[in-house]
Amino acid sequence: MNDQVTISPTTLSIHLAINGRDHALEIEPRVTLLDALRDRLHLTGTKKGCDQGQCGACTVHVDGQRVLACLTLAAQVEGREITTIEGLAGEDGTLNAVQAAFLEQDAFQCGYCTPGQIMSAVACIREGHAGSDEEIREYMAGNLCRCGAYPNIVAAVRQAAQELRS
Amino acid sequence: MTVHDMKHAASDSAHLEAVGGRLSRVDGPAKITGAAKYAFEQQLEGLTHAVLVGATIAAGKVSAIDSRAAETAPGVLAVLTPDTIMELKGASDWFGNPSPQPTYNPLAREVSYSGQHIAAVVAETFEQAVAAAALLKVWYDETPAIVDLSDGKAGDGIPIDAMTKEWGDAQAAFAAAPVRICAAYNTPREFQAAMEPHGLIARWEGDELTIWEPSQWLDGMARTYAEWFGVPFENVRLVSPYIGGGFGSKALALAHSAVAAAAAKMLGRPVKLVLNRPQNFTSYGGRAATRQTVAIGADRDGRIQSIVHRGVNETAVDGMWVEPLGSVTSIMYATPNFSSKQNVVRVNTVVPGAKRAPGENPSAFGIECAIDELAYELGIDPLEMRLINYAEQDPHTKKAWSTRQLREAFAAGAEAFGWAKRPPEPRSMRDGHQLIGWGVAAGTYPVRRAHGEAVVKILGDGSVEVESSSIDMGQGTYTILAQTAAETLGVPVERVSVKLGDSHFARAGVTGGSRLAGVMTGAVYKAAGQALDELIGLALSDPRSPFQKLQANTLQVRDGRIASPRGEGPDLSIAEFMAAVGRDRIEAKGDTLPASTTPQERYKNYTTIAMSIPHTEGDWSRYSWCAHFVEVRVDEDFGTVRVSRVVSALDSGRLYNPKLAESQWKGGIIMGIGQALLEEGIVDRRHGRIVNGNFADYMLPTNADVPDLQTISVGIPDPHSSALGGKGVGELAIVGIAPAIANAVFHATGKRVRDLPITLEKLI
Repeated sequence: MNDQVTISPTTLSIHLAINGRDHALEIEPRVTLLDALRDRLHLTGTKKGCDQGQCGACTVHVDGQRVLACLTLAAQVEGREITTIEGLAGEDGTLNAVQAAFLEQDAFQCGYCTPGQIMSAVACIREGHAGSDEEIREYMAGNLCRCGAYPNIVAAVRQAAQELRS
Repeated sequence: MTVHDMKHAASDSAHLEAVGGRLSRVDGPAKITGAAKYAFEQQLEGLTHAVLVGATIAAGKVSAIDSRAAETAPGVLAVLTPDTIMELKGASDWFGNPSPQPTYNPLAREVSYSGQHIAAVVAETFEQAVAAAALLKVWYDETPAIVDLSDGKAGDGIPIDAMTKEWGDAQAAFAAAPVRICAAYNTPREFQAAMEPHGLIARWEGDELTIWEPSQWLDGMARTYAEWFGVPFENVRLVSPYIGGGFGSKALALAHSAVAAAAAKMLGRPVKLVLNRPQNFTSYGGRAATRQTVAIGADRDGRIQSIVHRGVNETAVDGMWVEPLGSVTSIMYATPNFSSKQNVVRVNTVVPGAKRAPGENPSAFGIECAIDELAYELGIDPLEMRLINYAEQDPHTKKAWSTRQLREAFAAGAEAFGWAKRPPEPRSMRDGHQLIGWGVAAGTYPVRRAHGEAVVKILGDGSVEVESSSIDMGQGTYTILAQTAAETLGVPVERVSVKLGDSHFARAGVTGGSRLAGVMTGAVYKAAGQALDELIGLALSDPRSPFQKLQANTLQVRDGRIASPRGEGPDLSIAEFMAAVGRDRIEAKGDTLPASTTPQERYKNYTTIAMSIPHTEGDWSRYSWCAHFVEVRVDEDFGTVRVSRVVSALDSGRLYNPKLAESQWKGGIIMGIGQALLEEGIVDRRHGRIVNGNFADYMLPTNADVPDLQTISVGIPDPHSSALGGKGVGELAIVGIAPAIANAVFHATGKRVRDLPITLEKLI
């Protein structure tokens, strides 16, 4: 129990560039990117599994790199390009190759870790870490899946990586 | 309510769409694009946020709470304590037994486990609620806690007579047997650890309550809320369109649910309350820790003469959970003499609960390790040992198996794995520093059955809607019910939309015990059949029907078109026909209950588990079966165990969608790998606290822990188990994985580890 905790009423005015759109926000500095997405902008595709950087369900891209939105303050990413699962498919709804491969390979069950898995998989392929099943397993190990879709996730990442190379 | 756009999921190939076809998930497109809104992701006007505060002692009293700082913190709307939260009524249990207490307080004055909710803060934003919750000052009168089963104060516990199973004279036969083994097997406290945390949004409008909450049982939870608040059942609406994993944990309305609903009532505003990850380890029960001893006496040729089994599981100080430890022990092998008894021991924990295959899972760990030990004792191959003692009928009830493709599973699995090449001696295979071992174990799960209800609507545009308050937490309910309706009605699957997860739809019992697919395909098959009969009846008899002049006895519907089976006369799409007869819908509600069922019995059927149908009802004993073959690699110096290969052959009867069933099997195998090697709730002995209640310290299997898995279906349709011939899928595959791994570790190292998880310090 700590008497000394101070609660600042200060809010910040920030702009976030998410999926190619500008969003103006009035938020406290302590608001995470994850809560800004889910509670303020209603972009609930990015999931909160642990809020402690342990499960990967909140993975988004910041300037093309995979980032845990629960360990990132919203105010930190002003001026950066943020991509969430909602921004991955084309304007006409055409699925990203990774999304299509996840569906075809049945790479999910409950679907709760899935947006994070897909965002990680897109980055994993882009990073050049999808060269073998072993490599995919290792570079996808930061995204937990309790339903146990791992073998199908590996198959989906392998398939998408091959399609994107060809 | 959820409608799925089928355009990505549909397939051109008709056989994919039928029951038994490998149709991709119809809810898949929503889940891979982020469009799927899970229960507590609904956006409501005026939503407030609640955060819970848990006890930091495991036993004692809350003597005082100073909430002044929290109450004046920015954004705070209310601080709820045991003294200030509204009083609720006691609710009945899941059997429908009335509460022994007339009132219920979901915030505890008397603490019986660490983390028990003692206060809650409601604020305008989540951040404000979290910050204010940290300002509460709590004083306790602490008393000594019983921290776990090995606590000196725990004692031997309470005998559970209903668990006793005995035939023959097991003790005498064991004493007289020429070959005997006896060993103790322990499993730790384990957690379901669904990726979606528990939580809810509660909103009152007058005396009508809407709850958005991930739920494995909408009607059962709605009953609990109705009883807590003294409102009619119909006034409570549970909405749960998608569930981010449950594994047994999301079937009941729990204390945190009551806090949120009470706070919403008190404030007159909707309240969102989501347990943080550590709270997900203390707010509801995982699998109870268990202890078993298994003694087997056998002839020198390996025939079992007697099994003596004793089990213990932990339960709570103020709640009862029995994890049936003799469930597999009593049916897997033929034995003329058998005795199984079980105690439960009260410790200071939240009441343990259901986790994937409660009972069967730890039970199989005991008997399937013990049979392996007996095989080595006799120098008989562990697979041969299982075949020597193959149970040709249910050894307990003496009834015939409805279907038991376990022999076929052993054969198919052994062939695919290459078991015949296995050298019998431990430590006989290695690759550099890695010792390699092969292990086998069997698994089983009963075919739990219940009655279900569904509504099927044929609409004016020729599309079809299926409605049920059952749910999809990843098993594939949306998909297999679409396939069932499409096949029964003769319409393309992309014309079928399935709506689940709303308690105002046709009722459904609990989604648990691997029963939902069998129950609900049966209900949809029946409702769709009634709708089809009405459609054809209308076509034959309505004066406006173009088919009326045909004087035909029947018509058929194929690919959404109505025609005479002989091909004469009109050929109309359903939409054209509905326009011709001036109908905008044909609706049928089908259920599998006997016609004589009273409304009270129906209510009981859907809101309690009291009317579940025993798996040994009538002439048959009904189970799913499986055989797992596992290869492990153990580092000789460091004792690290890696599972490098798994082949599992499984009998779940007929598969409604093999693509989805295989995924569930693999998920069970992977959860079993976690159980065998990683998962263990660690209790601090001073404070009775779970110290690894998070995803970094309570280790789940990651992608890098899992090799390629091969699953083989050996099932055949089982007409005694379900309307369409399927048996249970979801829980089966986890049963037997941990013992198969433990047996493989013994083969690799010569060390028998009987305490899960098999961590490196137990091997070096």
